[in-house]
Amino acid sequence: MVRMLLTGNAAAAWGARLADIDYVPAFPITPQTEIIESLAAWFADGTLQGKFVTLDSEHAMMTAAGAAAATGVRTFTATSSQGLLYAMEALYTIAGWRAPLVLVNVSRGLSAPITLGPDHNDVLAARDTGFVQIHAETCQEVLDSILMAFHIAEDSRVWAPVLVNLDGFYLSFTRESVDIPDEAAVRSFLPAYQPKHPVFRASQPMAQGVAVLDSSIYSYFRYQLHRAVENAGPVHAEVSARFQAQFGRPYGAIETYDTDDAETLLVMAGSFATKGKAAVRHWRRQGKRVGLVRLRLIRPLPVRELTEVLSGRRAVAVLDQSLSPGLGGILYHEIAAALAASPQRPQVLRSFIGGLGGKDISQAEFDYLLEELETVKATPYFGQPELLFTERDRARVRQQLALAGKSPEGG
Amino acid sequence: MKVKREFYRSFKDLPSEEYLSPGSPLCAGCGGLTTLRQMHKVLGDNVVIVDAAGCMTLLAIYPFTPLRSSWLYTTMGSPSAGAQGLRDALDVLLAKHRMSADDNLQVLVLAGDGSTYGMGLSATSAAIHRGLDFWYLCYDNEAYGNTGFQLSEASPFGSATATSPQGTQQTKKNIFEIWRAHQPPYVATVSAHEPIDLAEKVRRAMTMTGPKLFLALAVCPTGWGFDPALSDEIARLAIETGVWPLKEAIAGQVRHTYIPRRLRPVREYLKLQRRFRHLFQPTLWGETLTYIQEQVNIYWQSVAKAEGAKQPTLA
Amino acid sequence: MVLRIRFHGRGGQGVKTASRIVGTAAFLVGYQVQDSPVYGAERRGAAVVAFTRFGEEAILERGVIEHPDLIVVGDETLLANPAAGVMVGQETATAIFLNAESAQPLVEQYALSPSTIAWDLTRRTQAIVGVASALSVGLAAATARLVGLIPEAQLLSAVRRELMELHLPEGAIAKNLDLASEVFNALPSLEFPLRDGQETPQKISSVLYEGLLRGSPSILNTGNAEQRQTGAWRLERPEVNFEQCTRCGLCFLQCPDGAITLDQNGYPIIDYDHCKGCMLCQTLCPVQAILSKQEVRSW
Repeated sequence: MVRMLLTGNAAAAWGARLADIDYVPAFPITPQTEIIESLAAWFADGTLQGKFVTLDSEHAMMTAAGAAAATGVRTFTATSSQGLLYAMEALYTIAGWRAPLVLVNVSRGLSAPITLGPDHNDVLAARDTGFVQIHAETCQEVLDSILMAFHIAEDSRVWAPVLVNLDGFYLSFTRESVDIPDEAAVRSFLPAYQPKHPVFRASQPMAQGVAVLDSSIYSYFRYQLHRAVENAGPVHAEVSARFQAQFGRPYGAIETYDTDDAETLLVMAGSFATKGKAAVRHWRRQGKRVGLVRLRLIRPLPVRELTEVLSGRRAVAVLDQSLSPGLGGILYHEIAAALAASPQRPQVLRSFIGGLGGKDISQAEFDYLLEELETVKATPYFGQPELLFTERDRARVRQQLALAGKSPEGG
Repeated sequence: MKVKREFYRSFKDLPSEEYLSPGSPLCAGCGGLTTLRQMHKVLGDNVVIVDAAGCMTLLAIYPFTPLRSSWLYTTMGSPSAGAQGLRDALDVLLAKHRMSADDNLQVLVLAGDGSTYGMGLSATSAAIHRGLDFWYLCYDNEAYGNTGFQLSEASPFGSATATSPQGTQQTKKNIFEIWRAHQPPYVATVSAHEPIDLAEKVRRAMTMTGPKLFLALAVCPTGWGFDPALSDEIARLAIETGVWPLKEAIAGQVRHTYIPRRLRPVREYLKLQRRFRHLFQPTLWGETLTYIQEQVNIYWQSVAKAEGAKQPTLA
Repeated sequence: MVLRIRFHGRGGQGVKTASRIVGTAAFLVGYQVQDSPVYGAERRGAAVVAFTRFGEEAILERGVIEHPDLIVVGDETLLANPAAGVMVGQETATAIFLNAESAQPLVEQYALSPSTIAWDLTRRTQAIVGVASALSVGLAAATARLVGLIPEAQLLSAVRRELMELHLPEGAIAKNLDLASEVFNALPSLEFPLRDGQETPQKISSVLYEGLLRGSPSILNTGNAEQRQTGAWRLERPEVNFEQCTRCGLCFLQCPDGAITLDQNGYPIIDYDHCKGCMLCQTLCPVQAILSKQEVRSW
């Protein structure tokens, strides 16, 4: 084992390298590019054996990745934001082929207006594709999750693609200390890839991705994919246990932080959960019983774990880094639905939107959020979201609108 | 003038193996299907077809496929990228000795003109540019056939489609030259009406590594509006009127594999098809027909000049 | 309470138009209406189906009609093809209409409901319209009359509207109107009780994970399309005159479907289970050794 300072992108590249991948079809997009640059260098100098190839688009890249995985090579690729959306048709397509590959998404807000900072609208747009989805909070978790992701994807109970998400800039370009496990230990955790189903070979012709016009069997195939992604829940738990036994780091479908005696819980995902943890520590010092739940597995949604940890609390806030216009925070609605069946569901369940396009979330905003939770006895479920926005934000908006020639009166 | 045959002198010499079973749901008299069948005979065993959205997607409808070879339906825009992934995976497996050489496959992209000339062009251009070792067959029926025959970038000047009911004023995109500009080792036009010419071309390309691209005029009784019994006749007229030149480009060098001695008037080809009917009735669009004829004449004049061949007698 | 009509025919016979003419006619009478075709992958000559529903209240049904009140069959040869689904729900249907010369032999052969009515639309369509396969108007007129709820005036308006939408020339529309009147007045009206929808009883089955091999749309039996018999698409049947055949092999080479093989001596063998009847082989045969035999009367 070596301990190094690595960016999230470097950690992703190391994860792929340790997984002994055979094939990387690539297409550059900020902030993911460093991942493919590192891999290109390793294929070029012989560290990795196989092939790295640059495609003409993410749509092409994902098609190539799926076709390669369906031919029986361990395949890795990465994208971000607009790229993930450009690939959307191919995401559904290769999940339908049950191509067991790993895709890293480096989260970045979506256009228009085009931007660079991270939020989760890109990755959550892919939540219905049939990819298993894991969200990392730290650079270490990025590396570890990629190793686990190949394990899950190639498990015969799943056999579906896995997406590992890390936030642009906050992880992709941020160095942290990362344990890089020994290759031998990784080999024992993740053995060489052996396809367990038919792949394209001259000796066993196969038609794959065939058009289906009969709606009974179409429903059957789509539901098989659902069952496969559902199976990724227990498989993730098994793989985590093995990972912990081998490398000492535990990963649950959700991570709990100071939740034991908490009356109030904050739910977040990704690297901004670190900021949430800081807020919790701050509140704990003031004697407030607040904790944080971080969603790591988003598909399959860990409904049982979420219900267990959130039930019996007085108030829960879901802080979404996504916005579905006309609905609100995407995870808020999934969690509200998950809790609906719990007799001890919290009386207060509020939706907050923060960190869009990577906008910082200050302690003042966290404090406001907590105050809002504390001052109400009960809220309707599926209530209105509230955007975390400060006076300073307001001043910046005012100034820029004026510079852009918009009158201060509005309109 | 026909070029000298290298491999197949008569029909009898053509490979007789079948790689497509009957029973597909494609239209009766489909020219694209005949082309695929003829091409596959020469390609032989061990083929994986990477398909784009189009008429041929209907070849394999669950749980049936007429192909004895392998098949991967991708999307409309990315069959050539699917071919890249497949080829690369096979090459990696061979290099790492994880697959026996007997298990290797030839990768053939199968796409209509809708995908080829439009949505799929970026992925194909990139694949040619990378020198991907693959075959490509475009069954060009000059419109989006599978959706009911709408205008595509391959629709010829004057032709009526469901979205150009009065006949389009756009001209057919020259995909042969677009492909050739990428400098692939082999590009050819083919027609099911000339199975020996087609077989010769496939056989010639076989020795080459890299993109081997075939553009086939896929006569389409349903979309073009003619009796399917005339499928071969229409294909023949396309060649004899000079509308569909048979040619190849080896390492960029173009030669025509058939130069008619005398061009038949394009009207003979056009008037048999519903998609050109408006040029003949209720009023005869003489100027338009003359213009179409002129374009064909100009093409063959330039061919004769470029290849030092005898110019066909123009119609 | 709804009346449900299911139309069967072959691609190209105007079954969809027939369902629309009946739909429009019922609409003009003042009924609530639904009509829809089924678009599959099939092409000219293949079995196609279309539906019309109408009633006095909002129609709380959609899609395929499994239990029609009236089954309208444009092409009697479809009865021999179980995949065409003509018989589905016939036991609960009030009546069946066949475009055929006579009902009795078909009723016996296919155990059809006794309330089956046959009329030779093909012959009259050929005589009046000039194209034997242009059955849409005849089928619609027969339907309108049999169900007894659509007067002739609305039927004729509907024929005009639908044919104009297809850009038929005025002359052809006039001939079709003549045909509609003749058919309408030649047939009886039956009693069609409007009734609630029926459904075949079914049990629910749960779908669990069934392993990675079964979970993707892959086919391991490559080349199995041979099990799909496309011979029923055929409107004409090519037959080889072996005395004239020179064994040139052109028909074998040019058959799009590979439905022609060569025997040991090089003579073509036509696979009638699969030949779609494009008749390309007949046209290209250099010595006219392939003959055509009509297979579907209404073409």
